[in-house]
Amino acid sequence: MSNVTAAWTALSPALLLGLTGLALLVVDTIRPNERSNTSMAVVSALGALASLSVTVWFVIAGRGHVDAGGAITLLEGAVKVDTLALFFTAIFASVTALVVVAAHDYFHDHANPAAFYSLTLFAATGMALLAVANSLAVVFVALEMVSLPSYALVAFLKKNRGSVEAGLKYFLVGALSSAVFLFGISLVYAATGSLVFGEVASAVESLDALAGVAGIGIVMIVGGVAFKTASVPFHFWAPEAYEGAPAPVSAFLSSASKAAGFVVAFRVFTEAFPLGASVAAGIDWALAFAVVAAVTMTLGNFAAAVQEEVKRMLAYSSIGHAGYALIGLAALSTGSAGNEAVMGAAMAHLLVYGFMNTGAFLFVAMAERWGIGRTFEDYAGLARRAPVACTAMAVFMFSLAGLPPFAGFFSKYFLFMGAIENGFLWLAGLGAVNSVVSLYYYSRVVRAMFLDDPATPSALDAIDVRPTALYAAVVFAAVATVLLLPGFGPVIEAAEAAAAALF
Amino acid sequence: MVPVQWYLLLAAGIFCIGLFGVLTRNDALYFLMSVELMMNAANINFVAFAWYYSNLTGQVFALFVIALAAAEVAIGIGIILVMYRNFGDIDVTVPTEMRW
Repeated sequence: MSNVTAAWTALSPALLLGLTGLALLVVDTIRPNERSNTSMAVVSALGALASLSVTVWFVIAGRGHVDAGGAITLLEGAVKVDTLALFFTAIFASVTALVVVAAHDYFHDHANPAAFYSLTLFAATGMALLAVANSLAVVFVALEMVSLPSYALVAFLKKNRGSVEAGLKYFLVGALSSAVFLFGISLVYAATGSLVFGEVASAVESLDALAGVAGIGIVMIVGGVAFKTASVPFHFWAPEAYEGAPAPVSAFLSSASKAAGFVVAFRVFTEAFPLGASVAAGIDWALAFAVVAAVTMTLGNFAAAVQEEVKRMLAYSSIGHAGYALIGLAALSTGSAGNEAVMGAAMAHLLVYGFMNTGAFLFVAMAERWGIGRTFEDYAGLARRAPVACTAMAVFMFSLAGLPPFAGFFSKYFLFMGAIENGFLWLAGLGAVNSVVSLYYYSRVVRAMFLDDPATPSALDAIDVRPTALYAAVVFAAVATVLLLPGFGPVIEAAEAAAAALF
Repeated sequence: MVPVQWYLLLAAGIFCIGLFGVLTRNDALYFLMSVELMMNAANINFVAFAWYYSNLTGQVFALFVIALAAAEVAIGIGIILVMYRNFGDIDVTVPTEMRW
């Protein structure tokens, strides 16, 4: 079919998201004093779902698949649509749809809902563009397109000191790391003379005097990726930003924005700096990622275990999950047949994570909407008043912990098995130990909701508000998390096919 | 003709000055200026090596970076403005609502 339709239509998932963002501004111009955000929520949810459907249709039709004419390159090779790009675009579009629906209740009385919805859609456009980037220039522009709206979204409640502080800290670390990332790109350009991945890769094979310059550049690019994925050493913005930001924004950042960081990492490091050639030039980035992955998952999980607030616990747990997904890069070895299995498993984990983590943060959004507190104790006895939502939250928690009957178990299992098959037993073992630690703090939430008694009988009276859209988003995320259990086979197959095209 | 290595050293020097500013200044506006220095250090590399390799990629990308840096400052000033309204100061160490 790619012969029949024009090549540029391969970009339509990204274009749909961008056009929806513009359409929201038009809606706002027509009715500038509209306080109800229903029209905004409907338009943005339809846009995100349209983008998702087109993406899924492309995946099923095999567009950009190796068997159907291969990847579609556009704009002088600066943009490339392949299965990897479509896989990640599906994650971004699903998370965006969940978040915009949930935000309908969360921002029910906000003075300027159009700003929230358009910024979210523009950030999602940047993510979809990031997934198709095939040049370091496009990567940087798209990365900024994700980051700039995100800073504004975190500081969106401009009269709330926590939100402003979170936005400030996110901006400070983000601006610094994007400058470091940019300098890394400039050094790679200095060493190779090109920004397009394929040309960089062939230049890396014949580096001579400038191998040191390229090496420093690659380390700086690792730093930029670490920021976007909230990994050590650029992780410390994450707990602050996720805790202070409005909860739907936290959900968006910790699921979609993190996956955006990973799509860049997967593509840049396999296509621009192939492992074999990089190691030959003395730049072993897989070792760097192995160290980052090990430290990130350990720090994230152990810090999460000592938190008192649920939202902050989820923030640290999302750092821990970044560590798991980094195994997809860390456990690669030159010419190994298991490479696509481990990277495919990391991608499948990010998809499952997109639903379960978004759902968990949206549950926190619901708790904020109800006005019950933020700590574990404040959630005590919640299951008696809101059994459906609490069951959904229990599904998210057990799936995040990786307990067997849930999708989170399968993605983690494939990830650790892939690492073991590639000879990284220590990394898989560390991941398993960390999963056990994580079970402790995830089950604390479930215990508080289902087993503990409320502190005072009237503590939960505030939850008489029924936020329908938030409920729908949370329940849908839970259903998706459960349905990914029987649906895991096709997902992992698509992910491995996408990863195989990279090697 | 200045050898291209000197541009690399100049860029690295400016980058380090910017990084030093980021790490030592508490004032949010100084922070923004320091980040600008770091980004412009990268621009020097792009332009110098575009000349060295005789392709235009680096020069064009430097223009992109200038535009993006301006956008980043616009967002940054906006956040610093709401910070000033909420905390009465633009010292980045003042907001401590959450544990660091």
